[in-house]
Amino acid sequence: MAVTRSTIKPMTTHSAPTPSVPPQGASVETGLESLAATGVQFTVIDAIRNNRPFTPAVHETILEQDAIVEVKDFSLHYGPSKALHNISMPVPRGKVTALIGPSGCGKSTLLRSVNRLNDLIDSVRVTGEILLEKSPVYAPNVDVIELRKHTGMVFQKSNPFPMSIFENVVYPLRIDGEKRKSVLKDACERALRGSALWEEVKDRLNESGLSLSGGQQQRLCIARAIAAEPEVLLMDEPCSALDPIATLRIEELINEISKRFTVLIVTHNMQQAARVSDYTAFMYLGRLVEYGPTAEIFQNPRLPETEQYVTGRFG
Amino acid sequence: MTHADPHNQPQKRPRRTPLAARGEPMVWLTGACLSVCLLMIAGLLAAVLVQGSVTFWQPRIHQFTVADGSVVMGVPVREEAYDAVGEELAAIHAARDAGALPDGSLHADGRPIRRLYRVGNREVYGEPFRWVSLYTIQNFETPARATLLERREWGVWVGMPQSVVREDLRPAPAEGEAFEAEGFATIEGEGGARRVERAVVQTPDGPRLRERVFIAEGPDAALSALQRLLPQALERWRRIHHLNQAAIGEINHELERERLRHREVELRHAEGRVTDAALGASLARRDARLAELREEYRHVEAEVAEIDREDARWRFVIVEPTHGRFAPVRQTEPDEFMRLSQIVRAVPANDLDLAGRLGVYFSRWGEFLGGQPREANTAGGVFPVIFCTVLLTILLSIVVVPLGVIAALYLREYAKQGLIVSAVRVAVNNLAGVPSIVYGVFGLGFFCYTLGRYIDAGPTVVWPKSNWLLGVVGLLVLTAGAVVAGFLARPVPGQPVARRARILAWSGGLLWLGAVALLVALFARSPFFHGFYRARLPSPTFGAKGLLWSALTLALLTLPVVIVATEEAISAVPRTLREGSYGCGASKWQTIQRIVLPRAAPGIMTGAILAMARGAGEVAPLMLVGAVKLAPELPFSSRFPFIHVERSFMHLGFHIYDVGFQSPDSEASRPLAWTTTLLLIVIIAVLNLTAISLRARLRRRFVTGAF
Ligand SMILES: Nc1ncnc2c1ncn2[C@@H]1O[C@H](COP(=O)(O)OP(=O)(O)O)[C@@H](O)[C@H]1O
Ligand SMILES: [Mg+2]
Repeated sequence: MAVTRSTIKPMTTHSAPTPSVPPQGASVETGLESLAATGVQFTVIDAIRNNRPFTPAVHETILEQDAIVEVKDFSLHYGPSKALHNISMPVPRGKVTALIGPSGCGKSTLLRSVNRLNDLIDSVRVTGEILLEKSPVYAPNVDVIELRKHTGMVFQKSNPFPMSIFENVVYPLRIDGEKRKSVLKDACERALRGSALWEEVKDRLNESGLSLSGGQQQRLCIARAIAAEPEVLLMDEPCSALDPIATLRIEELINEISKRFTVLIVTHNMQQAARVSDYTAFMYLGRLVEYGPTAEIFQNPRLPETEQYVTGRFG
Repeated sequence: MTHADPHNQPQKRPRRTPLAARGEPMVWLTGACLSVCLLMIAGLLAAVLVQGSVTFWQPRIHQFTVADGSVVMGVPVREEAYDAVGEELAAIHAARDAGALPDGSLHADGRPIRRLYRVGNREVYGEPFRWVSLYTIQNFETPARATLLERREWGVWVGMPQSVVREDLRPAPAEGEAFEAEGFATIEGEGGARRVERAVVQTPDGPRLRERVFIAEGPDAALSALQRLLPQALERWRRIHHLNQAAIGEINHELERERLRHREVELRHAEGRVTDAALGASLARRDARLAELREEYRHVEAEVAEIDREDARWRFVIVEPTHGRFAPVRQTEPDEFMRLSQIVRAVPANDLDLAGRLGVYFSRWGEFLGGQPREANTAGGVFPVIFCTVLLTILLSIVVVPLGVIAALYLREYAKQGLIVSAVRVAVNNLAGVPSIVYGVFGLGFFCYTLGRYIDAGPTVVWPKSNWLLGVVGLLVLTAGAVVAGFLARPVPGQPVARRARILAWSGGLLWLGAVALLVALFARSPFFHGFYRARLPSPTFGAKGLLWSALTLALLTLPVVIVATEEAISAVPRTLREGSYGCGASKWQTIQRIVLPRAAPGIMTGAILAMARGAGEVAPLMLVGAVKLAPELPFSSRFPFIHVERSFMHLGFHIYDVGFQSPDSEASRPLAWTTTLLLIVIIAVLNLTAISLRARLRRRFVTGAF
C-alpha cells in the first residue's frame, strides 16, 4: 500500500482533504495515518480518537484578557451525534479570534452557537453554557432576537437580500422598526464606510444588492452585519467563495473592523488566520485542541498536532 | 488474449457503441412526441383562429333560380357533397349525360354538391337557412344593391331595397268623405315631388288616415336615403332603450326598496320590536313615496311614447325575391313596413369594395365586443359576458391567492413536518383531481343553499339566548385555554421536547379545534341574527346562484394549485437568506414577510397564473353555482355598490356551450360559438401574459449580477 501523502501540503490550499484510505476507528477524514511514520507522539489526538479525557492547551495569556464571550464546558448534539464536546474558551474583547481546524470539526457549529442560530434546527440539544457580556446565552428567559441583534453574522456564501443596497444595509434597523430616514441614511453610510464599500456604491444605493460583484456582495453583508453596531461579529469563512483579490480586501477590512468590534472568525486558510487574527483556536473532531495567541500557535505551538496542522501536514 | 488469469485480465469486449446508446433514437422519439403534441395544439388553435375570425366577414349575396322556378337570394355558408338517391340520382345522371350540368356541381367522386345558403326572412320562409344543390341553380347572379339587413329581432332579412317611407297618421275623414288615395307631395329640404299613398286604417285609438310618403324609391335611392336616415333612427332607439332600461329601472328599483323597507318594519312589528304608530308612519311614508314614483313613471312613459311616435313614422321597404314580400314590422302585422330603427346594420354586400367590407367586418367585431347579446345569444355582442368572466376571474384570484399562500405558509413554515403535515399535503394534491362538477355540487349545497340562505334569512334553528351567551363564555374559555396551552408548550431550543410539552401541544390543538367548532355553532344558532335580506323572502338574494359563490367555488377548485406552487416557491428560498435574516435579529414572521415571501413571489405568481387560467376556463361547476344563459340583471350596474356579487352572471365558457349547443338556431349561432371561443382563448392569454410579465418583472429583482 502506497503512502499517499508524504509531501507537505502547500499552506494556502483551500480544498478539503480527501483521504485515499478510510481511517480505522474514526468516521472523520484525517490523514493521521500518514503521520505515524514520522514517529512523533500525538497524545491529544490519540485521546480524542479513543474518547479519553485530555486537557486542551490553552495559553495563559488568553485567560488574562477581558473576555466578551465565554464558552464554558459547552457541548452540542445534532440529534444522536455529538458535534461539540465540552468546549471551554474565552473570546477576548476587541480582538480577532480565529477558529481553525479540519472540515467538519465543528467550527461553524460553535460559531452559530454564540448567536443561537442553531435553534433553527429542531434536533439540536445543548449542555454547558456560553456567556455574552457575562450573561448566559442559553438561559430560558433570553430573548433570542435581542441576542442576535448584539451579534452580527457574516456567512460563507454571501447572502444579500433581494432588495436594494440601501435596504440590505439598514435591514437590522428596519426590523427594529426604525423609520426615520435620517437615522437610516446615517447608519447606512457608516456601515458602508465601515465595510469599505461606500465609495463604490454611494451613487447606486437604490440598485439591487444582487447587482454587485461577489466580493462587493460579501462586503455588503459585512456592512449589514455591522449596521446595528453589534458587540461581536461572527464570520464563518467569509472569503472561501471569493477570488484572491476580493479576499485580500476583506482581510484588510477585518483588520479595520477589529478596531471597533470583537471578531470571531472561522477560516480554512491558515495564512488568513495568521494574517488577520490576534488569537487562534485549533479544533479537532468537536474538541478544542490548542488555543493561544496567533503568533505562538503558528510559530511555537505547544502540541505537535497543532504544528502539524498549521504547517499543513494533516487536516 | 490469455485465459490463465481472468481476474487480472478482464475479457476484452468488442467496443462498438450501439445506436440506442448514442441516443439518436431517443432524440427522434422525443422529438416526434413533441411534434404530435404541438401539432394537435396548433391545429386546435388554428381552427379556432380561422373559424373565429371569418365569422364577421361578409361574402357576396347570390341570387338564382332553382328547379321549381322560385328565385332564391342568400349568402353562401358552406358546401358539401351528398348522396343522391332515387329519382334525383337518375335526373343528375340524365343531365350529366346530356352535358347539361353546370361546371363544378359534382364532386370528383360523382356525388352532387350542395351549398348552404343563409336566406333569412324567417317570417316568410320559416327556415332562415336552405340547402341548394348546385346542379339545380340557374340564372346565377350577384345583383347589385342586394342587401343583408341585420335586424334587432327575427334574424337577418335578405332582399332588394325598394323605398324609404314616411308615415303619418292623421284624423280620419268623416264618414263618406272622400280623400285622395294617391297623390304627390313635396317634402321640405328634399326637392321634387314624392308619391303619396293614403288609406284609412284601424288603430287602437279608432280609425285614422294613414299617409305614406315615399321619400326615396328604387334600390339606389332607398339605400342612400337609408344611410342618411339610419343614424337618427338608431339614436331614437337608443333613447327609448335607455329610458326603458335606466330610468324605468331606477324607478322600479326605488319602488322595490320602499316596499322592502316597509316589509322589514312589518316583520319587526310582528316581533313586537316596533310600535303600531311607527308601523302606521311607515305605511304612510311608503304610500306617499309610491305615489311620487308612479308619477315619475308616467312622465318617463310619456317621453317614451313621444319618441316612439316619431320613430313609427320612418319605415323601410325591402323585398325578398321569392314571393315579393316586404319585411314587416312584426310577424303579426304583415302589411306594415318595418321601422328604420329595427335595423342594426344594412349591408349592401355586392356593392362593397375592400374598404367597405373591412368596415362592416370591424363594425361587427365592435358590436360583438362592446354590445349586448340579442336573439337568445345568437347575435349581437358579448360585452357583459366578457365583463362577467373577467370579474369572476379577478374575484377568484383575490380569494384564492391569499388563502392558498397563507395555507402553504403554515404548512411549510410553521407546521412541524411529520406524518400529519404529509397527510395534509397528499390530501391537498388529491383535491386537484376531484372532478370539477363535484365542486359545483358542493358550492351549490354549501355556499348557495346553506351559507347563502343563512345570510338571507338567518339561522333556522336557534339556541335560547341564555344558552347562546353561555356558549360565548365557553368560546372565550376554550380560546384562552388554547392560547395558554400553546404558550406553555413552546419548544425550548437546545432542549429536548418534554412529554408534558407534547401533551400540552396536543391539547392546545384540540382546544383550538373545539373553539372553531363552537364559533361556527354560535353563528349557526344565534338567536340574535335574522338575516340581512329576510324582507325579500321568499325570493332569495344570496341563497341562489351568484357571482360570489362561483368565485368561492372556483377558489376552492384552484386552491391546490396555489398551495402546491407556493410551497415549492417557499422551499426554494435559499436557507442562506433565511439564516442571514435571523442572524440580523429578525423574527420568524419578519423573515417570512421581508425575505421569504418577496423571494417566493415569482413562484407564487406562477401558481396564481395557473389557478386563474384553470378558473377562467372552467364551466361545469359554474352551471350549478352561477352562470346563466341570459342574466336578467348583470352583476354590475351604475348603482351603488356597482358590483353585485349576489347576482347570477354570464360566463364565456358557458356562453360557448350555450351558443354552440343550446341555441334555437344552431346554424346562425355556430360561427358565433367559434368567435366566442377565440375570444375566451384571447382573454385567458391576455390575463396570463399580464401575470407572466409581472412575474418577469419580479424575477428580474432576484437575478444576481455576481459571477
Ligand atoms: N444541521 C446539521 N444536522 C446534523 N449534523 C450536522 C448539521 N450541521 C453540521 N452537522 C455535523 O456537525 C459536525 C460539525 O459541522 P460544522 O460545524 O459545519 O463543521 P465545520 O464548520 O468545522 O466544517 C459535522 O460532522 C457535521 O456533519
Ligand atoms: Mg463550516
